[in-house]
Amino acid sequence: MIEAIGSGLAALLTPQALLFLFIGVIYGLVIGILPGLGGVVAMALLLPFTYGFETAATLALLLGAHIATIWGDSVTSILFSVPGSAKGLALCFDGYPMTKQGKAKRALAASATGALMGGIIGAIFLALCIPLIRPVILALGPSEYLMMALWGLTVIATFSEGSLMKGLTASVLGVLVAFIGMDVVTATPRFTFGSEFLMDGISFPVAMIGLFAVSEMMKMSIRGTPIIDRSLVREDSTVWQGICDAVGHWWLVIRSSLLGLWIGVLPGVGASVAGLAAYAQAAQTSKTPERFGKGAVEGVIAPDATMGANEGGGLMPTLAFGIPGGESMAILLVAFIGLGVVPGPEMLTKNLDLVFSMVWIIVLANIAVTVIGLGITPWLARLPSLQANLMVPIVLSVCFVGAYATRGRIEDVVVAAVFGVVGYLMDKYRYSRANFVIGMVLAVMIERNLHISLNLYGNDFLLDRPIALAMLLFVVFTAALPFLRSWRRRRAAGRGA
Amino acid sequence: MKNKRRKLMIAGAMAPALLSLPGRALAQASDHYKGKLVIVNIAGSAAGGHTRFARMLAPYLEKYLGAKELRLVNMPGGGGLKAANHIWRLKPGANEVYFGNVSTLLLANMAGSPGATFDPTKFMFLGRATSEPRVLTVGGKSAIRSVADIQKLKRPFVFPSQGTDEDFYTMAVLSDALGFQLKAVTGYEGNADTSLAVIKGDGDGHITGWSESLGAIRSGDKYPVMMVTSQPSPDYPKIPVVTQIAPAAKKGVVQAMATILETHRSYIGPPTMDPAAVAAFRAAVNAAMKDPALQAESTKGERLLSPMDGAVQQKAMVELARSSTALSPILKAAVKAIQ
Repeated sequence: MIEAIGSGLAALLTPQALLFLFIGVIYGLVIGILPGLGGVVAMALLLPFTYGFETAATLALLLGAHIATIWGDSVTSILFSVPGSAKGLALCFDGYPMTKQGKAKRALAASATGALMGGIIGAIFLALCIPLIRPVILALGPSEYLMMALWGLTVIATFSEGSLMKGLTASVLGVLVAFIGMDVVTATPRFTFGSEFLMDGISFPVAMIGLFAVSEMMKMSIRGTPIIDRSLVREDSTVWQGICDAVGHWWLVIRSSLLGLWIGVLPGVGASVAGLAAYAQAAQTSKTPERFGKGAVEGVIAPDATMGANEGGGLMPTLAFGIPGGESMAILLVAFIGLGVVPGPEMLTKNLDLVFSMVWIIVLANIAVTVIGLGITPWLARLPSLQANLMVPIVLSVCFVGAYATRGRIEDVVVAAVFGVVGYLMDKYRYSRANFVIGMVLAVMIERNLHISLNLYGNDFLLDRPIALAMLLFVVFTAALPFLRSWRRRRAAGRGA
Repeated sequence: MKNKRRKLMIAGAMAPALLSLPGRALAQASDHYKGKLVIVNIAGSAAGGHTRFARMLAPYLEKYLGAKELRLVNMPGGGGLKAANHIWRLKPGANEVYFGNVSTLLLANMAGSPGATFDPTKFMFLGRATSEPRVLTVGGKSAIRSVADIQKLKRPFVFPSQGTDEDFYTMAVLSDALGFQLKAVTGYEGNADTSLAVIKGDGDGHITGWSESLGAIRSGDKYPVMMVTSQPSPDYPKIPVVTQIAPAAKKGVVQAMATILETHRSYIGPPTMDPAAVAAFRAAVNAAMKDPALQAESTKGERLLSPMDGAVQQKAMVELARSSTALSPILKAAVKAIQ
């Protein structure tokens, strides 16, 4: 194995591979920053240009671009509350409040460093776990995916401060919106009113663009002041503070990275759930959960670390079985075929050096993204102080172009505008937009996996699936943890009095 | 004699020109699109198999159409129904065509899918690019090794499926024709998901394109039980073909199903398409398929072509509509069973 680790790195240390990695990273950062476009689009656009080059160089280009989109997503989530794709959603919850408090540099630096640490920790554990990957994937199924989704659902309580009823109402609205389209189980149209457009459902990135970005721009144009009014709030944070935050919360980073790796290995769970689950565990294990949603740096570090590690895990079903776990992995599979590489069980034995090349690409791409990211953070942090009359047209144009680019349909631009109004009203009357999107993300996943579990294993499926049962107990425990802590604090305060 | 020899000499001199005539005639026929923008609506996502084929074919098709630009637009949704509905509603004169799985359109229509607002036989068939043989596979560790094993099961054959797509309908027809009970577990997210379910043993088996399962078959993760094709193939001689296994009374139904599946990745145009445009497009597809550079590219990239002329497809569609009436009640019953 050590030989494979060395030869995997050596294959990457060619001028062509390093150049391709650099190009991929820069390109991925740009694509990631554009709303509606993410890693899948980045890789799909690059694919035709990859034939005829070295294997390592081709993979460096594709994976480098894919990895760089993650931090690109985070940038717009933190600065403007515009998640570039579903993955960046969790970054809006605390990243954007930090920006509004004049801590944009710190948030961006914590996000970049968290992603780097997550990527490296994920890659190390991935390398160690390669012999276990196939049995692990074979041991997990729809019941375990259901538990992951339930864990994501527990974060609703975090955003329901003030009125649990309002929090739950927002979540239920999200669930109802997610049910628009063809029912995934019975192929029956739901809430489509005979519209062909609605048969495909409401696009999640488009809804997020509306709920967060368009509504924020509406607020800004009504207020007439920038996101940060420098006469009231000074940008007094530094990049170094952000780096120290991520390093200082090393235990949170390790936990989040392992979570990301675990979710990555589960094909079909997806990075949007990874970000939410990471946020949930950060909030629930924090000694001060009440700070979450108001600009807690841990709420930025945890999702980024998880998503950094998630990519390595996501490679595993593709490499171990030749089965792509998602669209981006399907593109990678096409690239493999073009390169004459056949993914499958032999990949983890005969082509181990290639697997390690990919592990190294993840590490090197993360380092490149972080170095570039930290370098440009001071300039990026100035953007939220642009005047409203400049910012609103720019961001709205990017949002609507992004909404259109998501599926190439003009109706999606209308959907983004409608969701902008919905988001504005929800914010005004204090219904959590975060809970709305959490309901939207998790509804179909829960429905799908509950149905399959019941069909395959029967009503008492939890008794047949010990890993799912253990995960359920873990979910219950982590959900109860903040309440237990609060009860212990009250009891201790009572004794003190 | 002298005249005959002269005629032979003239014929000999003209032979190379005559041999190249189809290509030239085709190039002339594509003048209809000369300098125009042609949009190919791909019924699938940017990462999907249809897009891979469409991208490979695009430069050659553009060349033989003589178009100013051949623009590829991804229109995923509803298993191809969205793109088909779009093409169905096009106004005359629109230079837009559909590229994707035609069998899904035929099956959705027969099953009375609410998303299918078209009559598939009225589309203009412009030529098939490829038809991948479908295979029924079971898990590598499964005790099932043949169709007879499936028929002998004392429980339903568990079939993980995404929903009412092509493999769902095919499996419903196979269950009816070969006389085994079927339990379709719908809700899986894609073929990757259903493949893992079969490999793990959560499901007994499923139907995929041959190339999609080839890696897993080679590694022993899956075992091929039956080809769902109309003819045996020398590429996989040991795997039985459904049309050979089916009882005599069900041969017609099975044959119709296999023929539908073999329509696979084709170009189709709207019913209102100008006949001159239809002829030019068919000629361009035929010419592109014969282009040695495309053939070399398809072999190198393991994206094999199996062309069929659009006019031949069009005739086959009419026949198919007649012969496949028996399929409709089977498909509708299968959909009802999961609702």
